Amino acid sequence: MTFNRKLLRALAAATFSCLTGAAQAHFQMLYVEETALQRAENLEFALVFTHPFSGGPTLVMEQPRAFSHISSHGGEKIDLRKYLRPVQWQSRENRATAYRASIPRELVRSMGDHIFVLEPEPYLETEEDVYIQQFTKLIVNVGGVPGHWAEPQGLPVEIQPLNKPYANWTGGVFRAIVLADGKPVPFAEVEIEYLNHSVDFENNAFGQQAHVTAPQPAFNTLSTYSDAQGIVTIGLPRAGWWGIAALDIGTTKIHKGKSLSQDAVLWVQARDMK
Amino acid sequence: MKPLGSAQRLLTTGALLFYQAAFAHGPVFDCYIERDDQVKCEAGFTDGSSAAGRKIHVRDMSNKVLLEGVVGTDNTFTFQPPAGQYSVVFLGGEGHDTTIQSSDISR
Repeated sequence: MTFNRKLLRALAAATFSCLTGAAQAHFQMLYVEETALQRAENLEFALVFTHPFSGGPTLVMEQPRAFSHISSHGGEKIDLRKYLRPVQWQSRENRATAYRASIPRELVRSMGDHIFVLEPEPYLETEEDVYIQQFTKLIVNVGGVPGHWAEPQGLPVEIQPLNKPYANWTGGVFRAIVLADGKPVPFAEVEIEYLNHSVDFENNAFGQQAHVTAPQPAFNTLSTYSDAQGIVTIGLPRAGWWGIAALDIGTTKIHKGKSLSQDAVLWVQARDMK
Repeated sequence: MKPLGSAQRLLTTGALLFYQAAFAHGPVFDCYIERDDQVKCEAGFTDGSSAAGRKIHVRDMSNKVLLEGVVGTDNTFTFQPPAGQYSVVFLGGEGHDTTIQSSDISR
């Protein structure tokens, strides 16, 4: 991330924090209710570009460039764009275009790991005058058979998990490697956010109640860096969804004449031991 | 903390290995109906080891074996389902048999 973008974000966050007590971090959500399935079932997806801790505002998504499924058998890549349908997503603060997708059971009924990859159209962040494009991964497992969850998918920017993203106990530790063009990125800036509101599929909305209250705006978006080997380590202190975003790590820096931040996002689900 | 002696270390390591061996290798099994109305079953183990070569039985409601097959190298077994109700049993090894009833098999 450029110093300019950092400064602008800090100023914007500080200003916003003074007004509402919330800080801003953009996260491309790629959400299903459950990633560790006993048996295959129809998967209902929500693709929302938003601020998951504060539950909004939600940012307008254009038609994604790619939405793919890499199957558990042989790594066959299936284009899922035909399943996408635009919706107006109600965040805690606004309504904006997001996408839903209903993926039939037939596509995901094989046991093992199913990797879903979203490549959105770059989003123009007018406050900062930069484009943001977040390559986002979600991994669903059927039946408990381990598969290719740890394999990189050849994206320009990517977070390669070192733990199964779908099998984590609350209180555990999650590790991953930040990659750009398949190579580790040392000391990449990484942001982590908890999905702090329920996802209401029926109304295409976030739930009204926040699960937790941050004691101070710095807790809304947690920040860290990958280490010298590009490895990032986070804790999972609460059950639910944790988003990890490595910022501005792509080699493509310009889009339509403006700065482009290519970020990598991975979603991790934690479950309580009970 | 007092360092562990070598014998104690060996015992601890052995116990951990046994624990992993006992609990990291559970059978998993599922069947679904393909487009040609054949039933395709997938078998495997939670540690990722192959089920190839393991037997599968298709049984009627009196437990009579109607069909016996072997899991292929792709960890699947496909068969023409019999008329009426039946069950499919994955013989995954001692204590590792898993059964699916035909009523739980869908597309």
